[in-house]
Amino acid sequence: MNKMLLEVNNLKLYFRTKKGPVQAVDDVSFKLERGKTLAVVGESGCGKTSLSKAILRLLPRNIMEYSGEIILDGEDIMKYPEDRFRREIRWKKIAMVPQAAMNSLNPVLRILDQIIEPLLIHNRDMNRDQGLARVKEMFRIVGLPEDFLYRYPFELSGGMRQRATIAMALVTNPELVILDEPSSALDLLTQANLMNVLKRIKHEFGTTFILITHDIGTASELADEIAVMYAGEMVEKCHAEYFYTDARHPYSRKLMSSVPTLREDKELVFIPGQPPSLINPPTGCRFAERCDKRFAKCSEHPPTFDLEHDQQVQCWLYTDREEVKHA
Amino acid sequence: MLSVETARERAVPAARRSGGNLWRITKYTLVKGTTLLITVIIAVYLTILIANMGGYVDKMRESELRFQIAEEINQNEELRLLTVQERKTYEEEVFRVRAKQLGLDRPFIVKSFIYLWNGLTLNLGRAIHLTSDAGSAYVDNIIGERLAPTLLVMASSQLLLFFSAMFFALFLSRRYGSRLDRLVVAMAPTSAAPAWFYGIFLIMIFAAVLHWLPFGGMIDAPPPPGFWAKVGSIIKHLILPISAFVASSFWLSSYYWRTFFLIHSSEDYVDMAKAKGLTGRAIERRYVLRPTLPTIITSFAMTLIGLWTGAIVFETVFNWPGLGRLTQQAINMFDTPVIVGVTVIYAYLLALTLFLLDIVYAIVDPRVKLGGGENGS
Repeated sequence: MNKMLLEVNNLKLYFRTKKGPVQAVDDVSFKLERGKTLAVVGESGCGKTSLSKAILRLLPRNIMEYSGEIILDGEDIMKYPEDRFRREIRWKKIAMVPQAAMNSLNPVLRILDQIIEPLLIHNRDMNRDQGLARVKEMFRIVGLPEDFLYRYPFELSGGMRQRATIAMALVTNPELVILDEPSSALDLLTQANLMNVLKRIKHEFGTTFILITHDIGTASELADEIAVMYAGEMVEKCHAEYFYTDARHPYSRKLMSSVPTLREDKELVFIPGQPPSLINPPTGCRFAERCDKRFAKCSEHPPTFDLEHDQQVQCWLYTDREEVKHA
Repeated sequence: MLSVETARERAVPAARRSGGNLWRITKYTLVKGTTLLITVIIAVYLTILIANMGGYVDKMRESELRFQIAEEINQNEELRLLTVQERKTYEEEVFRVRAKQLGLDRPFIVKSFIYLWNGLTLNLGRAIHLTSDAGSAYVDNIIGERLAPTLLVMASSQLLLFFSAMFFALFLSRRYGSRLDRLVVAMAPTSAAPAWFYGIFLIMIFAAVLHWLPFGGMIDAPPPPGFWAKVGSIIKHLILPISAFVASSFWLSSYYWRTFFLIHSSEDYVDMAKAKGLTGRAIERRYVLRPTLPTIITSFAMTLIGLWTGAIVFETVFNWPGLGRLTQQAINMFDTPVIVGVTVIYAYLLALTLFLLDIVYAIVDPRVKLGGGENGS
């Protein structure tokens, strides 16, 4: 078994629009160890959700470029033809909890039918009774009463539905679960509940998570590693413990200083300006326009630099460090 | 914290399920039935008023009657010898008796309610001028005779159109932006021309020039002997009308359903189904067709009852002995009982369909509950 579960190299996802190509995911590379959780943070529209869709190959119709390598367990799944990808990857190895749990469940099918579906598709020898037992187990783990299985989605509250989608994501025991803003539509108490459920799952089953969120506070609860996305690029990636105290990219630092903390008495900072349009983004550093540390070099596109503690930063400020090969 | 929320959530829907269901459904059925009945009554009464031109048709029938009596007297050797005064009295006397027979002596407003009652109880009475081919003047016989041909041509074309366009559209919705898809979009405006317009061209090509198919009618005259020969002849006569109908509406229907399916395929749960690794066919069936079933059923039901009215110009072009042409003849001749008869039956069919649709919705869509409102979701 590989220690490294997922390796993404130079992943690109461009959409075609009337105004020109949208570079939603631009040359993103990262690695994720088995059993760890990577939190992908960034502002709205920076390409986080597109990244998750690119990994599961859920592409819209107006796709323009979709390239790079996604190596799962040592195999490049980008090379899989559509049918093999459906049979061997989707929900068998990678599952996801979608952003809008409200609309992610089919309104006219019972919860049970929707959760048991991937089990029955991917395990030909499993009968319905075995499937039901498995679904019930998942329901217990996420903290839903069994009789909810026979309800329709509209009969559940938002928090309940989100738990049901988590149960659905875990039911086939996938190696990687992508959580796309799993708690952003919920109130604070329900959010906290949900994070506890996820933490327990992480510790009990050793599931690998990619947690996509704009909420750095939520990310800190679960994340082992943090990746910061800005305008379609991954500008920084490091261990969570260092990120909160020692973020390197100027954008990450600003992002951290815009988060309120409980114990310190600090002044919250906001980042002036808007992220650039993903249609024809600036050729140099995409953050340069909003950055107070910019200098002449910033008009060229920065490569990714490796710093100590396995920290990677895409910024010219760290020119004296060693350059990473894949940049 | 986990258990607190669970308990709270569990309590709510339990109450919703218990009791009162039968009463709720009965109440709903009564209210809905009454509302629909009132609508039918108003519609039929308006038809009676319009078909009688607000009573003016009675005046026309009176003058027709006077003319008829005068003709009769003129043709009668004995009566021709009467003096002007005697003749006038005689004429009045005959007119009074005949008018009473025909019910022309009572004011229209009174009669309109009698018509309404007769219409609603499906006591359609006799036609004024029209007769069935078998010679009956009873409206139900006349309508009955025309119903079968209309159903034959309209049902076969409509059903063929409905299912072919819908499944073609489902296929297209997966190929958004393809060459075929763009062709359908480009062809959709050709449906602006009605079916009879295509019919004229088809008749011109396949009947007049090529002599492959008959110009019109439903069966060869005289009808060929033997059952299968008759069936063959009818099928031969059906080809052009059905082709005209499908050719005129296919592109627009496909375009409509394609757009409909495109919208419903971009729901989040369809994406989830794909992520779960379902096959394309399973996604279509369970995640696109199933949630949109109420709309599809409605459209289908409306298509079915739309068959009843026939198509006036279409049937005229193809010389088809259907209800559409009957309605047109009745309107031309002010044959109000026939007009009212056709309308009453359509109104009943429409009301019944709407009523049944509500029940069907509650069956196919768990979100719909009959008479939900305050205790529904």
